Amino acid sequence: MFKNYLKIAWRNLLKNKGFTFINVSGLTIGMASAALILFWINHEVGYDQFHEKKDRLYTMYNKAVFDGQLWCWNTTPKIMAKTLRDYPQVEEATHTTNCFFLFNVGEKKLNVSGMFTDSGFLKMFTFPALKGNPNTALNDIYSIVVTQKLAKKLFGTEDALGKTIRLDSVDNFRVTAVLKDIPDNSRFKFEYLLPWQYMKKIGQDDEYWGNNSVQTYALLKAGVTEAAANKQIKDITRSHSDQKETDVFLHPIKKWRLYSKFENGINTGGRITTIRVFGVIAIFILVIACINFMNLSTARSEKRAKEVGIRKVSGAPRGFLIGQFLAESIMISLIAGILALIIVYVSLPAFNQLTEKELFIPYADPYFWLAFFGFVILTGVIAGSYPAFYLSSFNPVKVLKGTFKAANALVTPRKALVVFQFMIAIGLIICTIIIKNQLKHAQDRDTGYKKDNLVYTFISGEIDKHYKLIREELISSGAAVSVTKTSAPITQGWSDSWGYDWQGKDPNAKIDLNVFNVDGDFTKTMGLKIVAGRDIDVKNFPTDTSAVLLNEASVKTMGFKDPIGQIITQDGGNRKWTVVGVVKDFILQSPYEPVKGMIIQGPRMWFNVIHYKLNPANTTSKNLKLAEAVFKKYNPDYPFDYKFIDEDYATKFADEQRTGTLATLFAGLTIFISCLGLFGLATYMAQNRVKEIGVRKVLGASVGRITALLSADFLKLVIISFAIAAPLAWYFMKEYWLNTYTYRIDISIWVFIISGLLTIAIALLTISFQTIKAAIANPVKSLRSE
Amino acid sequence: MIKITDLEKFYRTEEVETIALNKLSIEVKTGEFVAIMGPSGCGKSTLLNIIGLLDDPDGGSYIFNDTEVAHFNERKRADLRKHNIGFVFQSFNLIDELTVFENVELPLIYTGVAAADRVKRVEEVLDKMQIMHRRNHYPQQLSGGQQQRVAIARAVVNKPKLILADEPTGNLDSSNGNEVMELLTDLNEQGTTIVMVTHSEHDARYSHRIIRLLDGHTVMENIMI
Repeated sequence: MFKNYLKIAWRNLLKNKGFTFINVSGLTIGMASAALILFWINHEVGYDQFHEKKDRLYTMYNKAVFDGQLWCWNTTPKIMAKTLRDYPQVEEATHTTNCFFLFNVGEKKLNVSGMFTDSGFLKMFTFPALKGNPNTALNDIYSIVVTQKLAKKLFGTEDALGKTIRLDSVDNFRVTAVLKDIPDNSRFKFEYLLPWQYMKKIGQDDEYWGNNSVQTYALLKAGVTEAAANKQIKDITRSHSDQKETDVFLHPIKKWRLYSKFENGINTGGRITTIRVFGVIAIFILVIACINFMNLSTARSEKRAKEVGIRKVSGAPRGFLIGQFLAESIMISLIAGILALIIVYVSLPAFNQLTEKELFIPYADPYFWLAFFGFVILTGVIAGSYPAFYLSSFNPVKVLKGTFKAANALVTPRKALVVFQFMIAIGLIICTIIIKNQLKHAQDRDTGYKKDNLVYTFISGEIDKHYKLIREELISSGAAVSVTKTSAPITQGWSDSWGYDWQGKDPNAKIDLNVFNVDGDFTKTMGLKIVAGRDIDVKNFPTDTSAVLLNEASVKTMGFKDPIGQIITQDGGNRKWTVVGVVKDFILQSPYEPVKGMIIQGPRMWFNVIHYKLNPANTTSKNLKLAEAVFKKYNPDYPFDYKFIDEDYATKFADEQRTGTLATLFAGLTIFISCLGLFGLATYMAQNRVKEIGVRKVLGASVGRITALLSADFLKLVIISFAIAAPLAWYFMKEYWLNTYTYRIDISIWVFIISGLLTIAIALLTISFQTIKAAIANPVKSLRSE
Repeated sequence: MIKITDLEKFYRTEEVETIALNKLSIEVKTGEFVAIMGPSGCGKSTLLNIIGLLDDPDGGSYIFNDTEVAHFNERKRADLRKHNIGFVFQSFNLIDELTVFENVELPLIYTGVAAADRVKRVEEVLDKMQIMHRRNHYPQQLSGGQQQRVAIARAVVNKPKLILADEPTGNLDSSNGNEVMELLTDLNEQGTTIVMVTHSEHDARYSHRIIRLLDGHTVMENIMI
């Protein structure tokens, strides 16, 4: 029985090559797209889930009111971890903070990023060691734990354990453990771990409860619930310090990745939205491919009708026929599934690049194959169920006596399915255009400073010591026209504070400002516009070490009518700043948000970055060569690293760009699959209407009229699809996507006009081959064949 | 075997109602070979379809082997059909995607005959129809006469008690047609009841009895001598 199913299914596939091709290719693309998305979702959902104690692991969050809003953030005081250990609910606690050191091994010099932490970290989290004992590896102040990848970079094939690494040309560290490489879907991304004691030794530790700068993690004792623990630790900051406004709470590891968004103190989701959207897209693409199968199978029913009739007359019960058609669709689905797997294999590297992930096909995992075959059978059943029930319902008398005629090529369920396909395709096109428009809108926004030829280098080693000389030589060598030292790159806000007071400030208001430290030539180097007063200039005004610049947003926030000369105090008046100038607003952080109030402080402390404007008279490569010589001269132990501001700035759009690219990709695939199906339908329609076309032509209809007549049926469907898709897409994009950006576009009517016309054009083009072919056929032939 | 009394069948479209069978009564006894004749549209094929349990009547009684089947649902009809009735069509109605052997095998699959038995029985009947040498060919590779022999082989492979033939020679030349009629006669002589619809007086002469229909009812019955 089953053999018979497969046999006839196989022969049918071979006999109807066009039909098979359309179905298999549609399903292949649909399945491959869905599979890629599912891999991605699986990866996202699996984030941080490889830790053995994941049910008891939490990260600490702070919660406090600013500007009337309840904010939640996960940087905590350094003393938090130590304090947590005293709570009976807590089995272990640890903290981490990122660090960046120059590694010296023999002749090798590498800038590597890692984390400071303590021995609790490797006890709580599952990062298995290949060598060494992870429980004790961070006990010694000069011990270092490296990953396999870093060990290989530093020592090649040699055993890294026990080897010495020199950090920043200052201290020697002994490798005490080598960890297996960190999984791609880990929140922690480090190449090495250093003991917290060393951080203390170099003066970066403090016990100040007001300085929220590191991440703290807790492992609760077995049986302790999140709610119970939260109750106990809520007041930890209040009871240990004079910070009386901050609450503390736990955020479980299973929510780290996907539920990291807090709105007014409530966990409202986060990446889970993206996961859901792409999950829905995966389902849509697959369903659209299945619809092709349904439509084509039922459209060509006339051809299968005779077979159904004979089988019924021969005694086949309906159930057997349903089984047969399902077997056929599952076979198609299996072929498509195998091809899809090949496509996934081939396209995975590109997809990984696009999504910045390291996805792979887990061939060795039996669950993968289980899922694969489950997926194939499910697809086959979805695609085949409607045709199976439809085809098996034929009345054998009618089909065998030849009185059976499939109703006009586009009967109602089929129409509905086509409308559904195009609705999704058009919807995705509209979304894509809106995403691209919004991206362009933000990219075109005036940054407020001049990005071209602007470069920065992080201060490391001897740079700070020789800053004056470096600065002079950068200019005198002709590499740069202007140099300034700042606390952070101008593309990133590294510091903010609500610790400022000024005349007229509401004493109860917590107003948070971005903080930037600069020395001279800041506005000149960045190309900022001064709207009032002057730049900070210590050379000519020695008291400018306590001068500040404000941006326009700050002036507005502070309510200054005449900002120049105003005094801004810090630390309850212990530190005083004088406003010497106001700069035009520039984008420091998100290009999608309004510019926040900012205070730019004169040269007192904390510099990390040198910005320099390259000499426009030289080529960039010449400038960089000259600059390298200067940095090498004064900081010989460190490689010369630099970053272009415009490239740095462009990374702000990476997320949206990625979303845009993915949306384009999936919209394109959806419209392609839909058109594939449309093409197939047009083919069968043309065949079914051969006689009608012949009669019309004999009666004098022109080729143009007949083409129009045949196209009109399909065009109607596309227009209905558009009418449904446009408002849905508009609503969804407006409410759920654009709303997340403060600086955003208004959706223009052109988005809809363009996407509508585009879809109609593509659809017409798709069916034109068949309609024109049918229209120009010689009517004598078609009528004679009756 | 078949006792039909006051059988009625209507065809309705939106505007007209056509009476296909009008209070028709006939009887066919086990072992008979009956020919049904009449002009186009007289209801021959409708009658055959109802006898063959492919279609249900709108009124009257149909007793098949002592069972009233006029109101059977599709599943019951199909079940009765596959064990008792074989069909032969004018246009052969073979499945193009299956070989001769597989076409003939089909009814055995649906009645659940084991694979080994199926091979034996298909070969037996192909042998009898003298198309064994064509067993692995596809229908398009055969002549019309050969195709009809395959169709007859398929109709008899389940050893039905009744064979319904709808103009079995209609698409054949006279020598092939005669061959087919000889085959049917042989089957009848071996005990199979045959009901055949035909336009051909020549073919009708192979039967024991001719039922002539006009406008959905019997007008005459000839007993062949």
